[in-house]
Amino acid sequence: MFNLTKGVFSALAITTLLMMSAALTYAQTTGSVTMTATVSNFVELTSGGAVTLTGNSGGSIITDGTANSPLAVVVNLGELGPSNTNSFVKLSVPVRLRSNVAYQLNMVSSVAGAGATSFSLKDTDVGFGLTPAARPANLAAGVDTNATPGDPTVGGSTDVNGRWVFAGANSTLGAYAVSGAVLSGPRVNKATSANSNTGLTFPAMFAVKPQFFDPAPAITITAQFTVVAL
Amino acid sequence: MPRHATKLIFKLSLFTILLVISAVACLGQSTSGTVSMSATVSKFVEINSGGSVTLSGNSGGGVTTDGVANSPLAVSINLGELGPGNTNSFVTALVPLKLRSNASYVLSASATVTSSGSTANRIGAADVGFGLGTITRSGVGVNTGADTNATSGDPTLPANGSVNGTTGRYEFTAVRSNLSAFLSSTTALSGPYIMNAVPRSNANGLTVPAFFAVKPQFFENGTTTISVTFTVTAP
Repeated sequence: MFNLTKGVFSALAITTLLMMSAALTYAQTTGSVTMTATVSNFVELTSGGAVTLTGNSGGSIITDGTANSPLAVVVNLGELGPSNTNSFVKLSVPVRLRSNVAYQLNMVSSVAGAGATSFSLKDTDVGFGLTPAARPANLAAGVDTNATPGDPTVGGSTDVNGRWVFAGANSTLGAYAVSGAVLSGPRVNKATSANSNTGLTFPAMFAVKPQFFDPAPAITITAQFTVVAL
Repeated sequence: MPRHATKLIFKLSLFTILLVISAVACLGQSTSGTVSMSATVSKFVEINSGGSVTLSGNSGGGVTTDGVANSPLAVSINLGELGPGNTNSFVTALVPLKLRSNASYVLSASATVTSSGSTANRIGAADVGFGLGTITRSGVGVNTGADTNATSGDPTLPANGSVNGTTGRYEFTAVRSNLSAFLSSTTALSGPYIMNAVPRSNANGLTVPAFFAVKPQFFENGTTTISVTFTVTAP
């Protein structure tokens, strides 16, 4: 009996030693690296390039747009009274968007210094619209939803008072006295390098029909765009 | 240094680097932009022809260069015979004017009358009756304002002239009823803005006929040139 007990003890001791040895061996030959990371929503608005000013009388581009730089364009539209015989004073501002998520582009605008009578230039006298084209193949596939009717100089007519009215809904800055959506869509960019300049570029158009507005020496029209992730 | 302290310092450093990288990335992201536009609406006043000239009571003569509505006013008229060979009561030229503005306006007239004669009986500025007729503001886009006519209207109206009982010469006697009142630039008409906020292509405006009249008389024979320049300004 003593010999049997001794044998079992010896066997257990050997088994324990073997297990400890195995455990020691495992700890010394493997290791792990655990990483955490985040991809945040990214939406970006920059200039899409140089602006185009047409139909102006005495106007000029004061601060032009530079592709892929912050959008901070300053333009003098010139004379908007009847001495300007052009059909429209038109400003086309290229805008570029990039995102890795669905986006919404909003705009808020204001008109100041034009006078206060019914014949002063109003925000409804400033036509506005975007004309985005179908996305090229180097962008993520998707369809963008344009909340504006497009080029404001297309269509339009005079009302019963003879004043020019831009055609369609959301076709003037009067629709954006408070911030409102002008364009939205799915993610813009494919999984490309962040320093890729590829983006969704489209013109934002502003237009004024020269009319017998009240004289006003210093009119200021401002449009601020903001892009947000949906 | 204990091993776990070294590990903690390493982790803190890594976290700080990640924060810096994240901040740089966020600063590079632009989500808004502005388009600032400035503009001007200047005072605008305009005078054009209001249409064809009407010449009546003439003997000989005719309209050499007629008025064309909405075109620059540059009419030329031969009034014909102004001596007693013309048996009409008056030789009258009616010249339609059209004014447009986005501001208050003043229409002035300046006249010169030159005759080849050398005596007091030659045609002079006082012998040429002048006045502005009925002022019409009508059509879409035209403001309904009240205009002030500084003339006495149609100079051929009986109230505006008569034969001088002493000299026998016919005289336009009413206020600013002949061109002698306009030998220097003088206001003939004024009023508030004419056009509401409508495009320039709107062809409406304020129309008013300008009357010129001469009573045929025993004037000294010769040739006479009458020139009148209208100027509209925004005071």
